[in-house]
Amino acid sequence: MNASRREFLGMAGLSFVSLGAFGPRLFAQAAEESAAAANNDHVLVVIELSGGNDGLNTVIPFEEDLYYKNRRTLGIPKVNVHKISDGVGLHPALEPLAELYKEGRVAVVQGVGYPDPDRSHFRSMEIWQTASTEKLPPADGWLGRFIDQLPPNPDDGALPGLAFTGSLPQACQAARAVIPVVGELEAFAAAEQPAQREIALRRKLSTRAGAAKGSVQFLRNQAASVYRTVDRLKGAAEKYKSMVEYPGTPLGGQLKHAAQILAGGLGVRVMYTSQDGYDTHSGQADAHAGLLGDLSGSIAAFDKDLRGLGLADKVATVVFSEFGRRVDENASAGTDHGAASCLFVAGAKIKGGLFGRYPRLDKLGEGDLVFNTDFRSAYADLLQNWLGCPAQKILGSEFPALKLV
Amino acid sequence: MARKFFEPFIPDAGDPFDARKAAHLLRRSGFGANSAQVAAAVGKGLEEAVDDLFADADDEDREFERTFNAIGGTLVNAGDPGVCQAWWAYRMLTTRHALREKLALFWHGHFATSVNKVEDTQLMLRQIETLRRLGPGSFRELALAVARDPAMIVWLDGQSNVKEHPNENFARELMELFTCGIGNYSEQDVLEAARAFTGWHRSGADFSFNAAVHDFGVKKFLGRRGKFDGGDVIDLLTAHPATPRFIARKLLRYFAAPNPPNDVVSEAAELYDRTQLNTRLFLRELFQSQYFFSPECYRSRIASPAEFVVGIARTLGVRQPATDLVGHLSAMGQQLLAPPNVKGWDGEEKWINSTTLAARLTYARSIPEMNAGENKFNPHCPVEEFVPADDKSAASIVEKLAQVLFQGELSSENREEFETFLIMGDEGPMLEAFREDEGLRMTKVRQLVGIMLALPEYQAY
Repeated sequence: MNASRREFLGMAGLSFVSLGAFGPRLFAQAAEESAAAANNDHVLVVIELSGGNDGLNTVIPFEEDLYYKNRRTLGIPKVNVHKISDGVGLHPALEPLAELYKEGRVAVVQGVGYPDPDRSHFRSMEIWQTASTEKLPPADGWLGRFIDQLPPNPDDGALPGLAFTGSLPQACQAARAVIPVVGELEAFAAAEQPAQREIALRRKLSTRAGAAKGSVQFLRNQAASVYRTVDRLKGAAEKYKSMVEYPGTPLGGQLKHAAQILAGGLGVRVMYTSQDGYDTHSGQADAHAGLLGDLSGSIAAFDKDLRGLGLADKVATVVFSEFGRRVDENASAGTDHGAASCLFVAGAKIKGGLFGRYPRLDKLGEGDLVFNTDFRSAYADLLQNWLGCPAQKILGSEFPALKLV
Repeated sequence: MARKFFEPFIPDAGDPFDARKAAHLLRRSGFGANSAQVAAAVGKGLEEAVDDLFADADDEDREFERTFNAIGGTLVNAGDPGVCQAWWAYRMLTTRHALREKLALFWHGHFATSVNKVEDTQLMLRQIETLRRLGPGSFRELALAVARDPAMIVWLDGQSNVKEHPNENFARELMELFTCGIGNYSEQDVLEAARAFTGWHRSGADFSFNAAVHDFGVKKFLGRRGKFDGGDVIDLLTAHPATPRFIARKLLRYFAAPNPPNDVVSEAAELYDRTQLNTRLFLRELFQSQYFFSPECYRSRIASPAEFVVGIARTLGVRQPATDLVGHLSAMGQQLLAPPNVKGWDGEEKWINSTTLAARLTYARSIPEMNAGENKFNPHCPVEEFVPADDKSAASIVEKLAQVLFQGELSSENREEFETFLIMGDEGPMLEAFREDEGLRMTKVRQLVGIMLALPEYQAY
């Protein structure tokens, strides 16, 4: 964390104590919050769309002439759009998601972004993952911060967060907690041969306590996490019994794995997944349709699975991307990096519907859609109203929470 | 320029160029070395050992070329990226010019291009060859070659960059990731640079300048005006004051320490600038500097998958198919020829998560099980070469392994654990059996090697 955030969090305690007459009420509120947090077992599943999803072709303003003028070959014909309101509809490949929307299980947020948009993948993704637009952002991510503030679990093998991606996303980097990447842990567990003495010694030396140089200490912490996670996950797969078929894609696999672990009752609160390929600089039409088809098919399968497992009320899924794409399509039948885009939240307990405002196509910012909803308002809503955690501590400042939950 | 960190390290009786320093040099400049190579380096002394690293291409390269051309046609026509990855892994395992290969891998992570989009394996192999050939020399020359490289042109949509409709992708990454870094140019500079690179296309496996679609007009770039083309943009970017710092920091991170402090980076940037961004000259200074041999650098990095896997093979003389190696590298998060994105691999602590560490531990324990026996084509770890079959003393065996893997740097705590482990059976100590039963003894020794390779201390590179 940078110095100003450290100061902020340190100062908060002092000013709290000096409030005199307001003290008791705030104590009560804090106690309530803490009790709510303790009882809260809601799960947040995150789906990151990597590369910059073209929001304009995902949630489509099919009545706007400017849309078709700018998207000469990529424009989706009005007749193919799944209308969700008088002026806006979903890409044809999102049909399963449109079905869920009709059931009131999907919130579609329009015009999502942040001030002074950055069109670099890494910088913009960093902004979303750290929930910070500061030039020197904190090293930890918003989900890591959430997990760090959870009351310490007496159960040493607690797994509050899991990442199903290839490497740990910055959003899950925490100052204290270690969030495992699930991946092929099963392969490691399977590879352990029954040479007990050897395994025991290796485990001991990998995780030995005592002073050590920085990198060695880091490796020991990570090794301890490996063994803990393997122990915990061993039972989860056995408890999962389901007939739901997921798309045979990496995202489908990640969500299926997530459902498996949820069924195992391991107390996981945050699960991070991702879908790659959205950086459609050329030949966007087919590629984008394929990705969106995979996305909505996977979300629909996951939702169906959760319903069957009796877990639907406990899970909300947020879908985001680091930026949208330019309004004007380029000469390669693709689009370049843009700014404002859309964000989805899906779940049984979500207030379905359309939120935010569609950015104006006649009032662009340097050729890009201008945001009207800061992404951190969505985060604030999810943190406060879904995960039961005060948002300001995590986000560093106050953002008016959306009301999707 | 006042030097501090790059003051030459002068070995003397009090602080000699010993086995630990030699192993550190060979590890960082390459992929590790066996005991004989470490001893040879100690014998030569620091200066000559460093000279050897920069020896020119020779017979070995011609031998590789011959072998490659013999099977090259097959490789390229098969179009299987897996085979190409295995070919590069094979080079890393066997080359005498480890620094050249290590640098090629560095530049591959820097100008990160993925076969997953490029698809054409011939283009990818040619790019790697360019990085290998020009990697040690002038950064300007290397950057220019990369801008003209067909794989790069495919990767960052150069073929779509035409004057009617410039495609910014390459211009942006060139500045943000390849030369001066973010914050040192404007959005307008990106657009103007894109114009300068219009028409920089490829035709098959060769660069091809398409004049018909090139924007010959005047551009305003980094505060200058002129009818710049791509080459001019490269010249201006490599002359940008931020570029030496940006590249030097990466070189330090890769060869020296994971988080070099600002004053070290500043000195390194000044040095790199004075060499006119010549990587060979810079590394020569680094490898003979006090900083390089200081505690900040010694075993301060976390081995990348390539360093870990190839390092084990070269240190212990492990023989295994390069294709196996490639699979392990992928499980550990490093797919050769397929970095996750144009930013390459973040490295250091980012290499390690539950999954990738599990992959390393699984790999470590599998090494000593490689016992080819009669079949010399099976994978094999030649434990007998560093622990003679007639050595019956647990303490002596542990010392030998400590020398090979750590140049003797192993805590007494760990040594005791290992000596106990060797002589312990299921029902208690079995000292007699350990001494008399060679088969049993070598089985325990092999298990111990697996345990030592899995130590966090071993991955501290």
